[in-house]
Amino acid sequence: MSKPIEFKAGTLSAMSAVIRELDNVRLSDSMHTMLGGLGEFFAGEATVIDLTQLSKVPDHADWTGLLSLLRRYGLQPIAVRQAPEHLVASARKAGLAVLSSDAARMAGERNVTTPTAAPVPVAPPPQPAPAEPQPAQASLDMSPPATNASTMIIERPLRSGQQIYARGGDVVILGGVSNGAEVIADGSIHCYGPLRGRALAGAQGDLKARILTTSFAPELVSIAGVYRTFERGITAALAGKPAHAVLRAKGNDGQQTLNIEPLQLD
Amino acid sequence: MVTKIVVVTSGKGGVGKTTSSASFASGLALRGFKTCVIDFDVGLRNLDLIMGCERRVVYDFVNVISGDANLHQALIKDKHCENLFVLPASQTRDKDALTEEGVEKILNDLKHMGFDYIICDSPAGIEHGAIMALTFADEAIVVTNPEVSSIRDSDRILGILQSKSRRARDGQEPVKEHLLITRYSAKRVEEGEMLSYKDVQELLRVPLIGVIPESESVLQASNAGTPVIHTKDEDAATAYQDVVARFLGEERELRFVTFEKPGLLKRLFGG
Repeated sequence: MSKPIEFKAGTLSAMSAVIRELDNVRLSDSMHTMLGGLGEFFAGEATVIDLTQLSKVPDHADWTGLLSLLRRYGLQPIAVRQAPEHLVASARKAGLAVLSSDAARMAGERNVTTPTAAPVPVAPPPQPAPAEPQPAQASLDMSPPATNASTMIIERPLRSGQQIYARGGDVVILGGVSNGAEVIADGSIHCYGPLRGRALAGAQGDLKARILTTSFAPELVSIAGVYRTFERGITAALAGKPAHAVLRAKGNDGQQTLNIEPLQLD
Repeated sequence: MVTKIVVVTSGKGGVGKTTSSASFASGLALRGFKTCVIDFDVGLRNLDLIMGCERRVVYDFVNVISGDANLHQALIKDKHCENLFVLPASQTRDKDALTEEGVEKILNDLKHMGFDYIICDSPAGIEHGAIMALTFADEAIVVTNPEVSSIRDSDRILGILQSKSRRARDGQEPVKEHLLITRYSAKRVEEGEMLSYKDVQELLRVPLIGVIPESESVLQASNAGTPVIHTKDEDAATAYQDVVARFLGEERELRFVTFEKPGLLKRLFGG
């Protein structure tokens, strides 16, 4: 008979929500602008509320409101990092683990050399870089856990109903995108395999983003908001063939048109 | 051997999940494997009808989860095969009665009882019942008809398998996927009225485990409460036997996927 419960230590990679202004109304607006109507944007990812860059320490915090706001986008808050002293108790009460920045540093960095029994005094954390010169702007910084490349690589087919967003960079999809799936990237979309779903590149307005695929058959392509659907089908010269979608300036007025052009692969 | 949990799923309803679960489980049992087939369609129980054991249902899946009965009381021994047991769904409860802990405990108990295969017959849809059926799967048989809405729904459920199964959540090796195409008519494919199995596979990009031809005997077998795999000299039965063989790693060529025009004599004198 196995033991009904066991305790094991482990490390966990988690999303960090870097919050600079602890004001739920402003956060809600900001998240709505960033993530648009994409409710459940994240897939229940464990999230640490990171207050290391807090610009102004409020007297009290509405944790319940903040938690439900994050959950609305599919984030699962589990802890808060470097909560101001007077907010620690209420954070615990709201069900959050309270991480000190030291603990976070030790967990995150592997440069603690000599293991000793007694806790090693650790230098105070480096001062966070001053925020961009827009202190009034509430902003959330959500970066995926430790990757060195800004390109997101998806190794399995993206199936109907699935949605991915490559924030700040390109996405490479190795298994194709099915009808009813959606891939969004701030950069370009590279799809090795049939692209049959919706593809939106340059989601933050990058006009140079492209959508490239070895088999062109999407429901919709969009670059920097310029989109095209294929109600009457895709021309035979492009359908199922290697192609890319690209914005090209037309005429002198800077008007951009979305062109779909064949790609020569061999 | 280690118990394998196989979910038979599809997203869309009416494509042949329960028929396939019944025949697949029977086929494994006929090969000598101790097999249990579980009806996850709580509230709309069908599997017991297809297996012909509806009159012997006393306790069901939900009774075992809620502790009103033990597994031995609820498992029904199949009347056709020695090694096959049926765990029927409840007709009176709804799918919320299935809890993840409850389902996991039952599956673990079945493992301890020495079952080689546990076949989970999923309800249609992508809601709680379907999620519960696929959560613990090691392998998945995705049943698809050669038509676009069925393919779309299968695609959806494949995505859910990737994200919601225990294997996916724990970051283990992903659930092994098999594509089973049912209600296939080679004649209609030939006439350009139906998508070919190659088209379906091309759209879903999952290894094909079999093609079951559309056949009246499937309906007859269901009405008689005998899984179609037991029907003698029947294409659908042979096709299911091939599915079981391929599942067990044997090589079998695809059958019943080409249409031969009946000769003059056959046309004159009937088939």
